[in-house]
Amino acid sequence: MFLRRFTGPLLSAAKESTGIVGLDVVPNAREVLIGLYDQTLKVVKDQIPEQAEYRRSVERITNYRLKVCQEEEEHDRIEQRIGCGQVEELIEQANDELELIPVMVESKPWEVPEGYKVEIIEDTEPIPAHIPQHLST
Amino acid sequence: MAQNTAYIQSLISIAPRWITQLRVSKNEIVIYTKPEFVYALLTFFKKHTSTQYKVLVDICAVDYPSKEHRFEVVYNLLSVLYNSRIRIKTNVDEITPIRSVSDLYPSAGWYEREAWDLFGVYFSNHSDLRRILTDYGFEGHPLRKDFPLSGYTEVRYDDSEKRVVSEKIELSQEFRFFDCTSPWEDQANQLFIKPKKV
Repeated sequence: MFLRRFTGPLLSAAKESTGIVGLDVVPNAREVLIGLYDQTLKVVKDQIPEQAEYRRSVERITNYRLKVCQEEEEHDRIEQRIGCGQVEELIEQANDELELIPVMVESKPWEVPEGYKVEIIEDTEPIPAHIPQHLST
Repeated sequence: MAQNTAYIQSLISIAPRWITQLRVSKNEIVIYTKPEFVYALLTFFKKHTSTQYKVLVDICAVDYPSKEHRFEVVYNLLSVLYNSRIRIKTNVDEITPIRSVSDLYPSAGWYEREAWDLFGVYFSNHSDLRRILTDYGFEGHPLRKDFPLSGYTEVRYDDSEKRVVSEKIELSQEFRFFDCTSPWEDQANQLFIKPKKV
């Protein structure tokens, strides 16, 4: 820590902390991310049928993030363009997705009998003005 | 609603088997699922990149004695990253176990104990499913609709034994005879006697 502080501009690019408890700085995050995304794409391609929406969804997200990681060198730029937190958080998310794939493979939620339809019920009643609204982004 | 439509559609197309019904009311999404899919569905919501519901805010249960599967178990999730909340509901009866999510969300441990204690909803695979709110040796599940308001036992201090004793509740009363005739009736008859004509 002190070394970084006193060497000043020499190592100023190095991040000291993520500011998040339990989440350590990964100096080579870009390479780690590219590796994880490649692995995700490969596992998804091997294990999940092509017509499954889950596979399309994962491929869409992962391909975009992989493209950004390959185009940008700087961690700051990657974080800005993906917009889902710091590179260390992106690593966490990629690991999560990798852990999820076996669960999806096991229970196959996309397999439904013919003509199966999820019932959607919409309540059109307006929200009273005095109730504070939670708006998801 | 408009902001949620695309999200709802993608959820349904990703996991149609897990979702039996989906309700949207006042900008809140409620997903109904079968008890055997709860664990997988919560895993999906926690780990998928575009959901990231990392916080399990609460698990609670509701008792509807008229339904075949009388207990409705409700999971409230929060995604800090996307500033989004979602509610997952499932229906079970007294003997169907639900797979515990306490290894997925550590906060679920106590919530599941609470649901077990107060409603008797059984969670399988839970590491330590004990009572959490009621007293040692308590019998029954006090938030069930068929649990009597007074409970089955009462606790009092016994002066002769110099200790607190717990005994079966006693609700017997002395026999009382209720005389249902109105005290005003006789007088009323007398009051309205027509005066004799002179």
